[in-house]
Amino acid sequence: MAEYAKPIPVPSIESKPYWEGLKQHRLLMQRCDDCGKFWFPPSLLCPHCTSDRFTWSQLSGNGKVFSYVVYHRVYHPGFATEVPYTVAVIELDEGPRMLSNVIGIAPDRVVCDMRVKIIYDDITESVTIPKFTPA
Amino acid sequence: MNAIRDKYAIVGTGKSRLGQVGATSLGLLEEAIKHALDDAGLKNNEIDGLVVRGPDDLYSHHQLVAQRLGIDVGFSTSLDNGGASQILAIILAVMAVEAGMATTVVCGYGRDSWTRTHASPSAHTNNDLIPAAQRPREHGPEFGHFGAVSQHAFGARRHMFEYGTTREDFAAVAMAFRRHALRNPEAVMKKELTLDDYLRARLIVDPFGLFDCSLNSDGAGAVVVTTVQRARSLRQKPVLIKGFATFNNTKGWIAEDHMISTAAVKSGERAYNMAGLGPRDVDTAQIYDCFTYMVLTQLEDYGFCKKGEGGAFVRSGALGLNGALPTNTSGGQLSEAHVEGMLQIVEGVRQLQGIYGSDRQVPDAEIALISGHGGNQVCHSTLILGSA
Repeated sequence: MAEYAKPIPVPSIESKPYWEGLKQHRLLMQRCDDCGKFWFPPSLLCPHCTSDRFTWSQLSGNGKVFSYVVYHRVYHPGFATEVPYTVAVIELDEGPRMLSNVIGIAPDRVVCDMRVKIIYDDITESVTIPKFTPA
Repeated sequence: MNAIRDKYAIVGTGKSRLGQVGATSLGLLEEAIKHALDDAGLKNNEIDGLVVRGPDDLYSHHQLVAQRLGIDVGFSTSLDNGGASQILAIILAVMAVEAGMATTVVCGYGRDSWTRTHASPSAHTNNDLIPAAQRPREHGPEFGHFGAVSQHAFGARRHMFEYGTTREDFAAVAMAFRRHALRNPEAVMKKELTLDDYLRARLIVDPFGLFDCSLNSDGAGAVVVTTVQRARSLRQKPVLIKGFATFNNTKGWIAEDHMISTAAVKSGERAYNMAGLGPRDVDTAQIYDCFTYMVLTQLEDYGFCKKGEGGAFVRSGALGLNGALPTNTSGGQLSEAHVEGMLQIVEGVRQLQGIYGSDRQVPDAEIALISGHGGNQVCHSTLILGSA
């Protein structure tokens, strides 16, 4: 297999458990111990209630496409053979929104609010990134 | 009545050369400031305040600018709110004078984006405008997500989905501003833009094609802010600062409904309140047009039409010189040059000074609304100016 040519995410101290979860094919985010809400991206305080108590908890991996765009321009050589490809704002059923790709469907067939589910892309032996496909 | 309204004025404006200049951002800013000082009839030693913005990798930018101007100042700083910074600079200038920290403040912004992105064959795709240490390293680039075009395009797509807005609506914005640019000899774009040109142009990040995106320009602009009292002894007829505000939807561009209902809603309300005016009083708008869609949604957010009706509004011809709301009358960032909102301020002032001939002058312009938008797509600023 050719060397992976796209950007490989670099975890921060705060996001490490998220990336560890993905490696095990589990979508983990912080859930507030006080108000029960999830948030993303990782940070130390709950943005809903400012509590500093949270538990890394598993999400269903189900959600919808809140919005999406289709890249035609190549901004990074790793995507030269990939265009046109879809980048979307995914709204997870548990609340948080995150960026990802919608794959397994032609870009011109993606629509806002369509249901999607997570799939795990093991891009290297040690890094897995979350992508979404029509549910 | 608000205690600040009509107490401060803009007394001079300047632009540098624009477009594919081949220059440093600091040099361009020197040019613009020189023109603004000449316009006001002021010398460097009469300036005691400086609020500026430049490329994000120039540390202590304001110090570099002041050193080049050969001035010590009572108040100076550099700003970090992207395209919302330039109006914020004027707000800070007013606050500094009000607090007794300065009397006469230069506000300006300069960029050398074209020069930088053409410095080498690889510079264009290397995203060189964002310092390496400031680029995201997770939650984006792994998906092939880079930069401002797609961030704003998310908003355009959702707006299209919710309200039936079309690419033809976006085209109406681009074509209106191009027509303005053709009457502005300083504007970079010199050729008429037809709907056919717009639709045939290559897609960048769908729904945005080439002509939805603002220009990659070198350029700078500057203005001088002081009290109306001091303005009386200066060269130009002062333009009054009637209202201003900022609002930042800092929960994020993709949070809540921010991408289709921007911080212009609250920034606008606050600025209208300070000015004692509303959207019906505005004779010309100079709207931050990083992308066509951002004009459409801001026109809704400022109350020039209802939410969701921006498409019909821009297609009605409203943005033309004789339309209901002549907008970005110098061509804007889509067709004059992209100087992060600084040229919008210069154009708003000049329209109210009534300096143009009938081919470019908004008839009887007394009130101008100017917007700034930037940072991570969430910062907003509003300036309402009036003729004296």
